[in-house]
Amino acid sequence: MRSRLTAVIGLFLSAFLLAPLAHADQLADIKNKGEIVFGVLGTDEPNSFVDPKTREIVGYEVDISKAIAKKLGVKPVFKQLSVAARIPKLQQGRVDVLAASLTHNKERESQVDFSLTTFVTGQKVLVKTSSGIKDLPQLSGKRVLTVKGGTQEPNIRKAVPGVDVVTFETTQQAFLALQQGKGVGYVNDEASIVNDYAKLGPAKKDYAILSQSISVEPLALGLRKGETALKTQVDGVLRELESSGEAEKLFFKWYGPSTKLQFDKRSFKIDSDKIAG
Amino acid sequence: MPSFDPGLLLHGQYHDWLVNGFVLSVELAAMALVLGLPLALAIAVMRLAPVRALRATGLAYVEGIRNIPLLAHLLFWYFGAPELLPEPVKAWLYSGNVEVASALVALTLYVAAYMAEDIRSGVRSVSPGQLDAARALGFGYLGAMRLVVLPQAVRATVPALISQALNLWKDTSVATVIGVGEMMYQAARVESASFRSAEAFAFCTTAYLCVSLTITALASWMQRRYPVRPA
Repeated sequence: MRSRLTAVIGLFLSAFLLAPLAHADQLADIKNKGEIVFGVLGTDEPNSFVDPKTREIVGYEVDISKAIAKKLGVKPVFKQLSVAARIPKLQQGRVDVLAASLTHNKERESQVDFSLTTFVTGQKVLVKTSSGIKDLPQLSGKRVLTVKGGTQEPNIRKAVPGVDVVTFETTQQAFLALQQGKGVGYVNDEASIVNDYAKLGPAKKDYAILSQSISVEPLALGLRKGETALKTQVDGVLRELESSGEAEKLFFKWYGPSTKLQFDKRSFKIDSDKIAG
Repeated sequence: MPSFDPGLLLHGQYHDWLVNGFVLSVELAAMALVLGLPLALAIAVMRLAPVRALRATGLAYVEGIRNIPLLAHLLFWYFGAPELLPEPVKAWLYSGNVEVASALVALTLYVAAYMAEDIRSGVRSVSPGQLDAARALGFGYLGAMRLVVLPQAVRATVPALISQALNLWKDTSVATVIGVGEMMYQAARVESASFRSAEAFAFCTTAYLCVSLTITALASWMQRRYPVRPA
């Protein structure tokens, strides 16, 4: 496709030419504009997804984002991004903050700054029971499906050497491919996997989530590098949410026993932007 | 932004991924071309046939395929069509590389519709008197086409077909959406593993450009070497 090639070249030019023009203080810009743009996935229940009734994007990360916008006294705007486009869009300034199920890892620290960790999840593998697969090493040489551009692919390759990975634009396409039998396993964040598993309904009996996690994923908001004023504000709001008990309420609202995910306890606190390893 | 590191593209793991992607892109384009060409020829002949039902079928094929975006074709042939197959066939297909197979089907059908139109135009550029004369000499319709009309039409058609091959080469990049490990897929993989977007996409851009320019050069050489001869 010709347009694709042009788009790629355009992307280079804008990345090289516009990068030095980035504004000195993003926080001041946000306040001047009167709005803050959050990049969300919108396809990853319960972090950010479209409510089928209201057609609005809602979720755990969306509520956190709204709390931040309220504190700054500006209007929150939500922009949907694909998993692979998250970091580039942030770096180009198309969005101010990423609230997009973003894993905080060492490799990404050279690209973006992270807020305090807002959620901790493991990544797991959902398999069809007919495949006879009971633990991770058995996946070696088998086809597993996941989303492009996230940490899922590198993590499964690290956890299971020799695994054959096929990636798609969204997690839901990968999940569909699993249901159609185009692979034996589907890799995603634990919370999302539990949610997808719940969606299977009566077909649940043919699937199982492998108990062993392939990694521990601290999720955080992503900020452009060096925007310390904005980071201080965002972290401040997150600390307040934690100390007021609001953060815990949000956790149970989206992940608690009355939701599809049915987490009965919260195993983390929003108090650090450091990660292990 | 880290500085541009061409070494990344010359050796090591990322180099291997990108080269594998390039090879698969070339293979996809070549296979779709080889399979698409005879199909296109058949469709074109149908569209020109003296039988109304055949003309209608050819027209339906061309319009049906050309008026739907390639992306939709790929998603259909990957997520949709195979589900309609009987269980044993499906299981066999899914145990192999179903991504490449689906992409190949979609690209072949897609490029054949465009090529069929180019071939038809080429045939129409041959004076109808040629067909009439051949028929008068006792050739059947297919015989007259094969021995008299098509050889003349080919000269007019080849440049247009090469141009379709060029489009096909670039269209292989869309197959990334169904998980085919072609060049754009591998570039995205390098990008998410290393954040070296500029290097990965520079590789792709250069590779697409080099192959495209080669195809273009071939087209202009063909046109000079075998110009259209008026009948």
